[in-house]
Amino acid sequence: VNIIKSTESLHEILFLFLEVGLILGSLGVVILTNIVYSAFFLALVFVCISLLYLLLNADFVATAQILIYVGAINILIVFAVMLINKPQSFNFFPSWTTGDGITCAACTGLFFLLITTISDTSWSEIYLVTQSNNIVEQDLGGNIQRIGYLLLTEFLLPFELLSIILLVALIGAITVARREKILEMRVKSQALQAKED
Amino acid sequence: MDLVKYLTFSMILFLLGIWGIFLNRKNILIMLMSIELMLLAVNLNFLVFSVYLDDMMGQLFALFVLTVAAAESAIGLALLVITFRIRGTIAVEFINCMKG
Repeated sequence: VNIIKSTESLHEILFLFLEVGLILGSLGVVILTNIVYSAFFLALVFVCISLLYLLLNADFVATAQILIYVGAINILIVFAVMLINKPQSFNFFPSWTTGDGITCAACTGLFFLLITTISDTSWSEIYLVTQSNNIVEQDLGGNIQRIGYLLLTEFLLPFELLSIILLVALIGAITVARREKILEMRVKSQALQAKED
Repeated sequence: MDLVKYLTFSMILFLLGIWGIFLNRKNILIMLMSIELMLLAVNLNFLVFSVYLDDMMGQLFALFVLTVAAAESAIGLALLVITFRIRGTIAVEFINCMKG
């Protein structure tokens, strides 16, 4: 099911725009010294990737990406940036050390290795071996119906385990951030008891 | 040719994430952001293959990765805030110094 009625050239232009935005955004996240700029460039990267998912006809994952990544994770990161006040350094880019040069060389080497691997593999020979024979699944149109059907039949266990993961993360984060008060109260009550003795 | 282009950009994003981790050893917040970049690259890879092989499993797994990344981000940032509150610095090199 094609969501975007676009011609081939429009597809190409959009893809190019999004990729340029992605690469510039991620370079900005990694290189800049000011953490606030990095956080906002990360939001740009999330939005660009979400539009790329829309180009690939994955509408539900694109919407979930904007809601979860930009709406929750990025806001958390901006909160953490605001809680951490570092001294302001006035240069945009950090100074270059020899360790940075070694890492850059290693990453560039890995990049060329992977480029040759990707372009040499014959992707047209890879096809899916098992096709779904389920009549119900082939009847469902649209992405979200198929995702919902699969989540409740074949992938029920991961779905339930995901809710447990979210519950554990919620309780854990609150407990970790709250422990200081309990320790303080205990220390104060011990000090009061020591004074009375 | 389309598949190769998408895979190339997913690989560039992943390598930029790795480079970002090694470049920002003094700042654990940017390291967390680079880990998010790497997770995004893997997500894009899953979706590209889901479209190419016409299988719904890729989109489902991308959703799972999204959820786990959200949970991991929340816990990581909570730990980061506590570490900064106690130590006053977010440089990674001093985290292995235990008191007492």
